[in-house]
Order: sequence, then structure tokens, then C-alpha cells
Amino acid sequence: MRKLLLKCEKPSRYIGGEYGAPHAQWGKFNFCMCFPDLYEVGMSNLGIKIVAQSFLDRGLCADFCFAPARDFGDGLKKAGVPLYSLSLKAPLKDFDMLGFSLQYELSYTNVLYMLDLAGIPLSREERRGGNYPLIAAGGPCTVNPEPLADFFDIFFIGDGESTDADVAEIYMRCGGATEEFYREISALDGVYVPEHTFPVYENGRLSSFAGQGKVKKALVSDLDGAVFPERTAVPNCESVHDRAVIEVMRGCYRGCRFCQAGFIYRPVRKRSVATLTRQACALIGSTGFSEVSLNSLSTGDYGRLTELLKSLKGALPPEITLALPSLRADSFEGDFAQDARKTSLTFAPEAGTQRLRDVINKDITEEEILKAAAGAFDAGYSAVKLYFMIGLPTETDRDLAGICEICEKIRALYAGKKRPKALRLSVSAATFVPKPFTPFQWERQIDENEVKYKQDYLIKHLPRGVKFSWSAYYPSLLEAVLARGDRALSKVVRAAYENGCTFDGWDNLFDEAGWRAAFAACGIDERSYVKERDEGELLPWDFIDVFVDKKFFADERRRAYEGRVTGSCLDGCKACGMQKKCPAARGEYDSL
Amino acid sequence: MIAFKYTKTDGAEYLSHLDLLRHIDRTLRRAGIEVEYSRGYHKHPRIFMGNPPPLGVRSVSEYCTIDTAFGGDFKEAFNRFSPTGVKCVKATACERNPNFAQTITACGYVAEGINNFCAEELLACESIPVTDLRGRDVDIRPRIVSAGWRDGKLAFTLLCGEKNLRPDLFCGYLSQRYGGEAEYILKTESFGATVF
Ligand code: SF4
Repeated sequence: MRKLLLKCEKPSRYIGGEYGAPHAQWGKFNFCMCFPDLYEVGMSNLGIKIVAQSFLDRGLCADFCFAPARDFGDGLKKAGVPLYSLSLKAPLKDFDMLGFSLQYELSYTNVLYMLDLAGIPLSREERRGGNYPLIAAGGPCTVNPEPLADFFDIFFIGDGESTDADVAEIYMRCGGATEEFYREISALDGVYVPEHTFPVYENGRLSSFAGQGKVKKALVSDLDGAVFPERTAVPNCESVHDRAVIEVMRGCYRGCRFCQAGFIYRPVRKRSVATLTRQACALIGSTGFSEVSLNSLSTGDYGRLTELLKSLKGALPPEITLALPSLRADSFEGDFAQDARKTSLTFAPEAGTQRLRDVINKDITEEEILKAAAGAFDAGYSAVKLYFMIGLPTETDRDLAGICEICEKIRALYAGKKRPKALRLSVSAATFVPKPFTPFQWERQIDENEVKYKQDYLIKHLPRGVKFSWSAYYPSLLEAVLARGDRALSKVVRAAYENGCTFDGWDNLFDEAGWRAAFAACGIDERSYVKERDEGELLPWDFIDVFVDKKFFADERRRAYEGRVTGSCLDGCKACGMQKKCPAARGEYDSL
Repeated sequence: MIAFKYTKTDGAEYLSHLDLLRHIDRTLRRAGIEVEYSRGYHKHPRIFMGNPPPLGVRSVSEYCTIDTAFGGDFKEAFNRFSPTGVKCVKATACERNPNFAQTITACGYVAEGINNFCAEELLACESIPVTDLRGRDVDIRPRIVSAGWRDGKLAFTLLCGEKNLRPDLFCGYLSQRYGGEAEYILKTESFGATVF
């Protein structure tokens, strides 16, 4: 082991013993939270800590495991050492349940990689009758679990605060994964058992779902009182977001039409200033981090943000900085700027013209961006990052030209005054990926030639000196395929893994040939998955209920094509279907 | 200022130098030991560490200085909040920065697992050419201060700082020449005008 550790990059990923890590002990039920990406990515994820905490709070065992980099993974395999958990250093096979967190589609092969390293057969079918842990998955991607249906025993849909641990308790009561166990858990909100519910095809078209019927997502209505880990492990090596994280709100009022998170996390729920202040202080005290990040999809929409910042400033040690990661251009205000380190300013206009921003219901105007930038420049900022998407429905060259024009205007604004430093302006253009549970869930994704054309256009027309980055064609295609995929893709994911694909989300590790060969071997044309879908068609994820009506999505799509803005729920309820569950629908914007 | 000696064992030997610096910073914050910050554009806490041992080498003789007005029991406070394996052994108040990175000139180590050999014979060599990690030929003989056997373990002292010789590199050379392999290397001592 020592030799293996010393030979690999960053051995501290694999040794455990983090300061503040809950001391894992075998218990009545033993859960291992598995994250299918590197330690430094997973250690920054709040969701997995919340799920682990929900087990600990009930006196059950919770440990962690992250995907080892290939150097260490291959070393483990060669040495015949099965993948082990971080704290107990126990083989994953010895746990009662492994819970994989699915945060992005391009981590799917890593689930198989981890199971394989653990010596656990990949598919449910191969595990049948054997003595293996329950293999479960949660996280945002499970709103369309079908592409991974062959591998998992259970999918958790929606909020992870209580369902996972509820299932553990039923497991103990039933004395294992018995038929009764599956019957009982299937009745819970947020639990999908792919063995019991399955798609039925007629003439190659999905015609119905057999089994338990609609699966409702799990919903925590009281976020303020929900499980929260006030002590968390301090990563051994620097993680991608090396700071304390508090979750200000869950959900988003905005309703941007491309954004899956904006719909699947509805309705907006909040924590109080008092709770957030207490959690931030507890986290800083127990971890020693020097920064607190105020997370949510749109922290600027937290009604009491000024009060919260004041409260945090008053309660935290003076050197602690506050990070507002998802701050949108239109909620940027001069006084918050002082709190972040004066480095870089980030805006996500997503589209280059007002017309296209109206199409996607992105409620930012160029004026607002320029006004916020002007304020920030005067406050000392000298770097601006702009995020755009290419391939959005109805996009034309005019919209691409708009991207270039915004850059010109920002440059002119910066040059308008004497500044101590040169402006650093960077533009990133991701390819639009249509996602389930959005008004754009039926849209096509642009093809390789279109992607190339649009990227070339920007390369040619962006003002000199702008740093431009874009996403490669094939990974975005793959993301779209997996996001809207069906059960037939399980065998492709497996074939890709067998071809050596892992860490697909890492540009430098992405193995396009491996994936192309996997599709070919399975006789599946990946491009067939990114065509436009018919609105009358039954979609592979339609058996899942995130409480937003399909009709609402279809209406929103029509409004998009008409260029009509729906706006934010802050200006009134848009009747998306969950009015009964939504505080904002009752006009309670200030309640928690 | 407070200068302190601390360990890097029990897994902490796998922490990189930068990560260890972050851990010390966080330990101090958890312990409520306020450290002065540098002035200027990018503020950073005034923590000054000695030269790091190579990754995987354990140590009971690391040194660090921090700029602080803390007047309490430093060792107790630090150890209560430090990660496993990073423990203060001794602390002392000082007026000026002892600058351990410059003033520690040699370090003592013990290693197990290398086949027995005659240390006198090794030391009698006038030069010992090896290829270092960057592929350059260097004569390591002048950088070996002493070597000998103590309780069946190899104990040796190597120069550090500017004329540094990495203990793992030295052990690698010995394995090549005499067989065996260094299982554990432990840094036991530091030499210099400022150590305590
Ligand atoms: S119920 Fe109304 S207010 Fe609530 S999320 Fe849906 S549209 Fe917005």
C-alpha cells in the first residue's frame, strides 16, 4: 500500500483521517456515500455531506468513497486490493448500501469503474442472489435514471435529507432486501425501483410504464429545520472549492427555459438569517476555512441578502471572506463587491441578444450587465468572464454577433477611464444540451457542422484579446444523449466502460473513440437521441413527477418560440403545477 | 512570534507542503490563535515553514514560525485542533523570525529495510555520482554528513537547504548498491543554529 501511495499523484486523497471527519464505526446499518469523481471534486459537494449526516443523525454508520484517479485505481487492481472506504478503510462490499451521487451525466462510467474496483458485479442481474450491498443512486441526474437502470437497485429522486435513511430503517426492519422491503420502499416518495417499474415498448415506441406508476420526487418543505452538517471534514488536499458552504436557498424563482436545476428543485425554500449565521459560524469554527460560500441557484434573489451579509460580517472573524458564486448580473450590487476578493467578475447572459435572452427567459438586459460591470470596474475589478451557450433554439448569426458586441461594449467601458491594470475578458461558449424537465426537453441539439460553424464564427469575430473557450462537440452530444436517454443506453455505458472510458467529464481524459465504438457495438446511433422529440410522445422520464406539469413545459416552449418572457416567480405565480406546495404561489416570498 | 517544532506522521507524511501550510493555517484559526497578515494586495497569514521533507517521509522534527501575539499555552491549543500526525512537540516565543528554511543546514534520518552494509566503506568513497530526479549527474558524497547502524536501523545525516540531498534518493541509491528497500524513513533531527 505504501509503495502504491507513493507512486501515485496526491496520495493524501486516499488515506482518510481528515480533520473533523465523523469517526465512522460499524453500526446496525452501514452506508457508504460514493462519489464518482475525484476526491477534490467530491469533497466540495455539500449534498453528499447532507445525505451522510442524515444517517449519522439516526445513529447509523456513514462513510465515504471517491473515484480514485486511474494511477491509483489501476494500482489497486494490480495489487488485488478492493476499493475501500475512506474512514473505515473497509472494502465497499462490506457495506449494506452504497449511495452514488450522480451530479453530471459524464460521470456515469465512473460508477461502473468504482463498482468494478470494489469487486461488485456491475448489473443488478449479475448480482442477483449474491451477497452484495444495495446499490443506490441519488442526485440531480436521477430525474432521468433510465440510462443507468440496469446497474442500480434503487434510485432516490429529489431531496436527499430523509428518504435514504428511511430506506435504511425499512431494510433493518425487514431484515434485508426482501420482497417486503421493496414493496414498502416503493411506496415512499422519492424512491424508484427499476426492477419493479419499467418501460413498455410497442413497435419501437415507448407506450407505457408498467409497475408502481408515477414516482414522486422527495421534497423537504422545511429547509430551515432540515439536516445540515455543521461539522465537516477538512480535505487533506486542496479541493475545487476549498471553503465552508452554506445553502441559502434551494430552488430558483427564475425559470430560465434551458435550466434543469431551475425546475427540478422547485419550489424555492430558504433558510433563515439566524440559521445561516449559526451554520456559517459553526462551520468556520470546526473547519478553520477562511471563506464561506453562500450557495444556491440564485443567491441574489434571497430577499434578506443584505441582512444576511451584515449578520455574517458581524458574527464571523474579520479575515473570513464571503463568496457568492451564483450571483447573477442583475442582482449584483456595489456593496457586495467589496466582500469578494477583487479578482474576477462573472456574468452568465447565456445569449448574445435580447431577443434570444427573451426566448430562454433569461431576465438580464445588456444595460444591467454594463451597469454592474461599470460599478465593479470602479471598485477595482479588472477581469470579466462571460458565459454563453451556442445552439439555443432559434439562434442565428445575429445572436452570435451580439456576443461579440457585448464584448466590445465592455471593453469600451473599461477603456473609458484610466485603470491601473489591463482588462482581462474571457468568453466561454458551451453547446446547449436539452434536458428533461425543462421547456426545451423536446428540442434538438445542433449537429457537428453547426457547432463547428458557430465556434468558428466566434473565433473569427470576437474582438482581439478576448480569451475564448468552448466545449468540444462529442462530450456535449454525449451529455445530451445520456440526459434524455432510455434503458437501452445501459449497455452502451457498460461497453464504453469496458472500452476503457472513465472520467468522461475531464477534457484531457475523455476517450471519444471508446464511446463511439461502444455505440457502434451496441448498434445504437447516438445522434438519434438528440433529434427533436414530438410533444405527444411519451418520454423515458415521464413516469417521474417533479410536480411541474408537462403542459406547463409545453406552454413555456411555445412562449419561447414567440419570444415571450414569462419572468420570475417573484413577479407572481406562473402556475407551473405545484401551487399547493409552493410558498411563492401563496405570495409568501419572505417565509422560509 | 512563536517558533514551534512539530511532527508529520500517521498519514500526514502524505500531505504536500502547500496542503500542510493550509492545514496549519486552519489549525490556528480553529484554535483561536490569531496570526498577523501580510500587508499588500494579496493578504496571506504570516506563517513561515522550514524546508519540507519529501512526500512519504515521516518526521518528528519539523519547524515553523508564526507571527502572532498569542500568549497562552501554544502547544496545548495547537494540538487540540491539529490534524492527526501534525502535533506540536515544543514551542518557544521569539523576537525575530529564526528563518528555519535558511538556518537548518542538515537533517538526521533513520531508515529500515536496506540490506546491511559497511557504512565506513561508503563514507570512505571520495565521490558518489548519482543521477538525480531531474536527470542531472551529481556527486552526493559531499552531501552525506554521516551514516551508521543504530539498533539494526540505518541512521544517517544529510545536508539540506541549498546543498540538499533527499533521504529517499539516498536510500534509493543504497538499495541499488546493497539491496533491500527502505520501508520507512523517519526524519529524527534537524541541525542548525536556530533549532531547539
Ligand atoms: S407554483 Fe407558481 S410560484 Fe411556485 S414555482 Fe410554480 S410558478 Fe413559481
